[in-house]
Amino acid sequence: MKLIALMKKEFHRFFHDPKLVLTMLMPGVVIFVIYTLLGNAIWQKDKDVKYEFEVLLQGESAITQMLETSVAEAGWELTFTPAKDAETARLAVKEGKATAYLSFSENFDEEVAAYTPANGLPAPQVKLFYRAADSDSMAFYTLAETILNAYENSLANKFDFNLGEDFNLSSAEDITLGIMSGLLPFLVVIFVFSACMSITLESVAGEKERGTLSTILVTSVKRSHVALGKIIPLSCIAVIGAASSFLGVVLSMPKLMGMSVGSFMTGFGFLSYFLLFLLIVSIVPLIVSLMTVISAYAKSVKEASAYTSVLMILVMLLSIVSAFVSGIGEWIVAIPVLNSVICMQQILTMSLSVWQSLVAVGLNLAYTALLVLLISKMLSSEKIMFGN
Amino acid sequence: MSEFEDDVVVRAAGLKKTFTLSRKQQKIEKTNVARKVAVNGLSFTANRGEIYGLLGPNGAGKTTTLRILSTLLKPDAGDAEICGYSVVKNPQKVRDKIGFMTGELKLEGFFTPDYLFTFFGEMHGVEKETLQRRKKELFSRFGIDRFAEVRVKDLSTGMKQKVSLVISIVHDPDVVIFDEPTNGLDVLTAKVVTDFLAELKAMNKSVILSTHIFSLVEKLCDRVGVIVDGKSVADGTLEEICGGATLEEKFFEIYRSVKGEEV
Repeated sequence: MKLIALMKKEFHRFFHDPKLVLTMLMPGVVIFVIYTLLGNAIWQKDKDVKYEFEVLLQGESAITQMLETSVAEAGWELTFTPAKDAETARLAVKEGKATAYLSFSENFDEEVAAYTPANGLPAPQVKLFYRAADSDSMAFYTLAETILNAYENSLANKFDFNLGEDFNLSSAEDITLGIMSGLLPFLVVIFVFSACMSITLESVAGEKERGTLSTILVTSVKRSHVALGKIIPLSCIAVIGAASSFLGVVLSMPKLMGMSVGSFMTGFGFLSYFLLFLLIVSIVPLIVSLMTVISAYAKSVKEASAYTSVLMILVMLLSIVSAFVSGIGEWIVAIPVLNSVICMQQILTMSLSVWQSLVAVGLNLAYTALLVLLISKMLSSEKIMFGN
Repeated sequence: MSEFEDDVVVRAAGLKKTFTLSRKQQKIEKTNVARKVAVNGLSFTANRGEIYGLLGPNGAGKTTTLRILSTLLKPDAGDAEICGYSVVKNPQKVRDKIGFMTGELKLEGFFTPDYLFTFFGEMHGVEKETLQRRKKELFSRFGIDRFAEVRVKDLSTGMKQKVSLVISIVHDPDVVIFDEPTNGLDVLTAKVVTDFLAELKAMNKSVILSTHIFSLVEKLCDRVGVIVDGKSVADGTLEEICGGATLEEKFFEIYRSVKGEEV
């Protein structure tokens, strides 16, 4: 009964304060909105833009046909107009009357064909005047540069590598999964940490600082119940906050990658989702407990916040290292938090090990139980609670 | 349970408590000694249905003694029994027998008096019906009923004190411990508190209060213990201690004899 009353109090404190609820749910919404807008902006940009290049031309070359073909394939338009003289053409580009001025030296193609670097004569010249400040002019320059480089390389062609077809067999989903598997576990840890931090420090260190925790300690409630009465509700609340951030990323990341949410989500089976859920749920009480230990030890919210920041940096560093370094042994499941990061990564790369995930979940819960015992001891310690 | 006379509800025997002073505290107290003996072999008893006052200057060890009695601090030596339960061996049982009120124990401002009364009642394991009955009685007695749904942070200082008072006795404890009960209160609220202390006595409850206000002791206390430097230097009824003089005169006489200095 006393434990339930303690838990109810924490829930009441949180859910009756709109500011706290908003603070907890906001990151997820913000992430979703920003990523979605960003994704839409990136993927809409190329679809919408239609270039119409008006290029002044001096001299002749087969390269102009290559340019015309490439531009037509992209659905854009290109018009070559013979330039009267170099000076007028350059001025026209400078004043924005033409997209660019392309100049080939006389008999360019023949000279290129006959040219050998060994005879020491200057190589045939192509000049392309453009304005980097103008997006059309810059786009034409980029296109021309790519084609000219490819043309130059083909002149000295000794062999072909991956010519013609698309040899990259990765689908858009695979690419997204690759990025997600590396990034998501790390993001999850950050989200869980932020969610836990915003409520735990205030609830434990804040109550200690204000003297309201001592008022509870004067009653006959067991110290272990006080500890659990904090950790269970705070974990539930933190799960909501972390889930909000997590959903924000999961729902918006595919949009950022330019694919549909549905095609991304169907990549995983029920077991994967279930294990992901278990792993996240198991690290939340662990992190809440860790922060409760820190908060109980600290004399103020400010002090607790400083200690927690150090812990967060440490966990973040280890998470990101373990997420991007392969070949870590199975012993990693014994390390709290990191075991979840590795297991989440395995799930997201479709190489999940069920036993490792379950061991990780079990160990995280066992560590939480140990921390609850430690917190109970700390709550009984007059040195920690009253600084004596 | 140890030997327990019917009338003796609180028995403190040889209580000792030492604190380590930080460098900052040493500077404030102008001392180089890293350890401070706050309570030094303190013994006293309080009987059922009486108000026992701990009188002493600031830093005498009154608050530390009350914190030991309320199980927030453990004594380095000695023990205290409340209703037969040891504060060292049975702190949880002791907490059910006492109500402790001090300015250092605060109520969370976010909640209403109504919510907190129920919450702390549940913390003490009070039955639902009893809790509702006591809430009605006490809220009406202290005029809290009109503010029952106002958040504590929005209440006046006096009303906050009243709410703290009723919450400290939500479980109808046998022993009520008050640390400086009228400190910081306006005259009207102070009177409500002192009247209530007298009522508690009439209800056969034992009250232990610490104070440095002579008039409060003279008005309320049946017996008084004078503490100087953590030691009990006088203990008895007001008549026994004062012998016709005022408490103030007698206190300074005792203080001078102990400290050997002019006040």
